[in-house]
Amino acid sequence: MSEGGERDENTIICRCEDISLADIRRLVERGYTTIDEIKRLSRTGMGPCQGKTCRLLLMQELARATGRPPGEVALGTFRPPTKPFKLGLLVGKEGETRDSQDTGGGEDDGGQGGAAR
Amino acid sequence: MSGGPKKYDAIVVGAGPAGLSAAAELGRAGARTLVLDRDTRPGGQLVKQTHKFFGSEKQRAGTRGVEIARLLREEVAALPAVEMWLNSTVLGFYSDRVITVERVKDAPGEERREWLEKVTAPVFVLATGAAERFLPFPNNDLPGIYGAGAAQTLMNVHGVRPGRRVVMVGAGNIGLIVSYQLLQAGVEVAAIVEAAPVIGGYLVHAAKVRRAGVPILTSHTVKEAHGREALEGVTVWRLDEKWQPVPGTEKYIAADVLCLATGLSPLAELLFQAGCQMAYVPELGGHVPVHGEDLETSVPGVFVAGDVSGVEEASAAMVEGHLAGLGAAARLGLVRDLAAVAAGWRAELASLRAGPSGEKIRRGLAKLAGQTAGMAASSPAGSPVSPASAPAASAPAAPPPATSAPKPGKPGRTLSPQLTSTGEPAASELESSLPPADRRRQGPYAVIECFQEIPCDPCHKACRTGAIGPFPDINLTPAYEAAHCNGCALCVAQCPGLACFVVDENYSPSEALLKLPYEFLPLPAAGHTVDLLDRTGALVGSGRVVRVVRSRSKLATPVVWVTVPSEKVGTVRNIRVPATKGGAAE
Amino acid sequence: MRIQDHPILDFSKGRKVRFWFEDRELEGYEGEPIAAALHAAGVRVLSESPVRHRPRGFFCAIGNCSSCLMTVDGRPNVRVCVEALHEGMRVQKQRGGRGDLA
Repeated sequence: MSEGGERDENTIICRCEDISLADIRRLVERGYTTIDEIKRLSRTGMGPCQGKTCRLLLMQELARATGRPPGEVALGTFRPPTKPFKLGLLVGKEGETRDSQDTGGGEDDGGQGGAAR
Repeated sequence: MSGGPKKYDAIVVGAGPAGLSAAAELGRAGARTLVLDRDTRPGGQLVKQTHKFFGSEKQRAGTRGVEIARLLREEVAALPAVEMWLNSTVLGFYSDRVITVERVKDAPGEERREWLEKVTAPVFVLATGAAERFLPFPNNDLPGIYGAGAAQTLMNVHGVRPGRRVVMVGAGNIGLIVSYQLLQAGVEVAAIVEAAPVIGGYLVHAAKVRRAGVPILTSHTVKEAHGREALEGVTVWRLDEKWQPVPGTEKYIAADVLCLATGLSPLAELLFQAGCQMAYVPELGGHVPVHGEDLETSVPGVFVAGDVSGVEEASAAMVEGHLAGLGAAARLGLVRDLAAVAAGWRAELASLRAGPSGEKIRRGLAKLAGQTAGMAASSPAGSPVSPASAPAASAPAAPPPATSAPKPGKPGRTLSPQLTSTGEPAASELESSLPPADRRRQGPYAVIECFQEIPCDPCHKACRTGAIGPFPDINLTPAYEAAHCNGCALCVAQCPGLACFVVDENYSPSEALLKLPYEFLPLPAAGHTVDLLDRTGALVGSGRVVRVVRSRSKLATPVVWVTVPSEKVGTVRNIRVPATKGGAAE
Repeated sequence: MRIQDHPILDFSKGRKVRFWFEDRELEGYEGEPIAAALHAAGVRVLSESPVRHRPRGFFCAIGNCSSCLMTVDGRPNVRVCVEALHEGMRVQKQRGGRGDLA
């Protein structure tokens, strides 16, 4: 691996889903240059923080890669919830939620994760 | 979760400086208001701000952020119309104006409870604040790499040092202020690294860390972080005029903490969900809601305030909170003549943004105003602030003394490249802060090392002799006339930038007396010998403490009176209490 | 790492409690965030990242970034930077992902 390649592998863009700058650049090389495409293919921004940390980095990288100003990179969708919560809270009673699953945050966005791994 | 949503007159999301100010206005107007915050204590990020605020009296200038948080909390708690839910996170804003709140009760000795509630209201003030930006460089995810605000939370809210030796990235106000606070907590700051060629924060904040010996490396950035399990060091390198790194300029700095103070991004998810028209304005921090001067978004009844409407100082956030609260109350029919009631606050806001330090905000708001033009429900007074804003209507207009009145600094003053790139004033700037030579021999006088136009006026408020005149515009540099100064040093204790000093050149045949602000521990006592440091923190001699003026409250700034060899009185600006007898600290 | 004396602030702490981190017994103050108690005890690595198995600590400390997810008393994905510490808590690192998420 080249020095630059290794640097990109170790530069983390999305902490929740463990997506590196190298991962993003590979997707851009394959022609995916919008936030929604990258999100669906890699789960970038779909983890528990819902993109609070990575969205801006991703936008900057896509702007750089495509020569567009950052403001012109389409942001993608924002849907509730803003953070994961226990699905049990929607149906169960208070306090009976220990063993229920978390909402994966962003699952309602399609949830087609894993393609880039 | 069953039944319909609970109904309120108004819902405020976020109990920071903006949200609490909005809630105070709504509560005073009699609106049944619900305030929601995910934290367990209200105050937002004020709860970790130990520095004194700038601005003017109405924004509580000269008061420390922690104290402002307490005052705002008490103000809101005294309003029976306001209800506050803490530990309550808003999960979603739905099209029927219902919001879902995740509530948690987690008291010691009780079983933890989590539940959801739905609430609704005809008006909302969304004051969700901003998040710290992350930066891409190799190993940027190592433990020990924290947001600067995270380090501040850890040390100032929870009393835990983030580490032993810190590299700070970013010389804006957050980077400079947190560096100073790290020093106050007993943490070494190895360097402040700033990609821009100039210091972005207030230069008085830069001067405080410089005289404590912290270098500010402008035109530098992080190349990579090093460490196996956690951070062990950082390599930085220089950037050329085109912001490209220069190979061969790498410097390794050992550090167990790297703090990122590279900007904030508005936490705007709820605004997107609410369907507010958004615009990308880099000057305001990224995606911000299009809004008019009354802080109402494109969705009628949805108001914004504070960093989520555009990242700015907390003083501005509070004023915006008042305006949004008043606007929302007017929507409810509880405020009759909004224009009249809001005029004072609008003038305050315009005045805070009027100086050179507000230039970026004005540019951002002008871009946003371009978007507002196409917005249907825009306010009648849609134009944002005018750059050459008139002084605030409420500005004090006390006439200056008839003879030799203090003259305010001229607007548009240029600063030396040395000052803006290193934080150290140039000789010409220092010269300009001194009274004429004959006055200097006549007795104690103040030296105000405040060269940059920033919105701030507590020095005038502190001055009892009329030596520091009123500010026709709070962005001007202080108007100081040494003829009226008696060297009382009240300005030394009050100045939020710790930029005032008092010099008595006649203390003894060979010594001058210097009165300086000192906010570190241990505090020396009269009779102690201390190291004398210059504006870069370099040791230049030793002096004897004559007196320490302090208040019973720890919130006041102690003023140390120290003897200085006569020829060094223009050089010494800091002291250090030696760690052991006769030896220098660390 | 605890600050004993501060020039501006006084820290009011809850009572001292004991808790478990992995198989170590540690001390902290009731009601402070678990992450603060761990940091004061010298613990900076809170988890292993889900795919690349990199060590991770907290980043934002105010509940935004979710970099500090741990398992607390069997509950996974707890943001320990904003979760209050209680007597006898069992705090564990999450390794190789968030098992209960898709």
